[in-house]
Amino acid sequence: MKDQEIDKALKEAAQTPQNVDPLLIERIRASIKPLSRPVRPLPPVWLMGLELVSISAAVSLAGAARSGFFGIAKMNVLERSLVFPALGILACLAAVSFVHQMIPASRIRLSPGGLLALSSIATLALFADLFRDYHVEHFFSAGIVCLLTGLLHAIPAGLLSWLMLRRGFAVNPASAGLVAGTLGGLAGVGLLELHCPNFQAAHILVWHTAVLPLSAALGSLLGWTVRMRARSSDR
Amino acid sequence: MHAGENLERLMARYQQGDFTAATVLINCMSPRLQRFFLAKSMSRSEADDLLQETWLQIHRVRHTYRSGEPALPWFYAIARHVRIDHYRKSIRASAGERELEELSKTASAASHRAGELEELLAPLSEGQREVIAMLKVEGMSLEEVARATSCSVGSVKQKVHRAYKKLRETIGPLGERKWRGGELA
Repeated sequence: MKDQEIDKALKEAAQTPQNVDPLLIERIRASIKPLSRPVRPLPPVWLMGLELVSISAAVSLAGAARSGFFGIAKMNVLERSLVFPALGILACLAAVSFVHQMIPASRIRLSPGGLLALSSIATLALFADLFRDYHVEHFFSAGIVCLLTGLLHAIPAGLLSWLMLRRGFAVNPASAGLVAGTLGGLAGVGLLELHCPNFQAAHILVWHTAVLPLSAALGSLLGWTVRMRARSSDR
Repeated sequence: MHAGENLERLMARYQQGDFTAATVLINCMSPRLQRFFLAKSMSRSEADDLLQETWLQIHRVRHTYRSGEPALPWFYAIARHVRIDHYRKSIRASAGERELEELSKTASAASHRAGELEELLAPLSEGQREVIAMLKVEGMSLEEVARATSCSVGSVKQKVHRAYKKLRETIGPLGERKWRGGELA
């Protein structure tokens, strides 16, 4: 059978009139009618994206203000001019992607997994290129502290972002959670770059960058849990 | 009224609280959404339940429609969400008793299916059926299907290619005779 014949068969099948029970249509109308009132559409994507980036930046700056700006103080001009703009660009991408996740039928240019991979690889490549101190001291003890600090800031950044977009509707909450987690993770990495003066390559590449996938995984898990809870409450 | 040409305008009016626009949308979209559910090998009563649930969801999240954007993928994205939720819920609910009910359920579903389209799409996987139903039956563009299914245009193309390959294999000489003979129409 040729493709054209399959096309024809599908078209013919689709032409069969689909009659919906008029009583069902009436029931649907009746269920909607009492709730019909004007609604305010969501703000433009760029505005919501800007708000999300501001939240992430605010969490990073607040965390660094509390624990000290030792990292940025130790960086040279080149490091400062590359690390923070790069994190800013990735945060913008993640914010716009998160807004799209919260609007049904948005055009998805970068999948949630792709965004996480891009953010992780770009961060790793940048750090590997800039930080070339290959000494390894207190790898685990210092690393765990940084990882926890990063995550402790990534979680509120992700949660605040989710709260800000609560008016939206995620058709796939696990994917939306993954993107919110990635955005939060970038806020966590931003805080670590502002605060942490340990420039050993191994420390930064492993412990700072690990905040991103871990935060994304937590976000995805949270999104999945939200959906499961919603389903349980529907039953 | 033709659904395609005024759908976006009707959505804008629906957002402004115009119940007449909501009624026109319900009349235009319900048959299409019902066919979308039936294309997933659902019984008629299940499709009716999902249609009602979809409209409630559409009503709850009508503010997320963005004027200027195509409305059709927006409707299908929500319908798809409702269907996936229903599918997963039914899997969980029937996990313990599935084996006992399997035979009667299959027989009942088959007797209520809407007919030729479902029969034609039956050999395809869920994802392939969904994409073919939107693209070839509802006449949506690749871009619109990609939006409705939250995936890339490339991935939609790949699913269509695989679906056609499977249809060619499974329909085979038997189906060829049947559909060429005009039984379908």
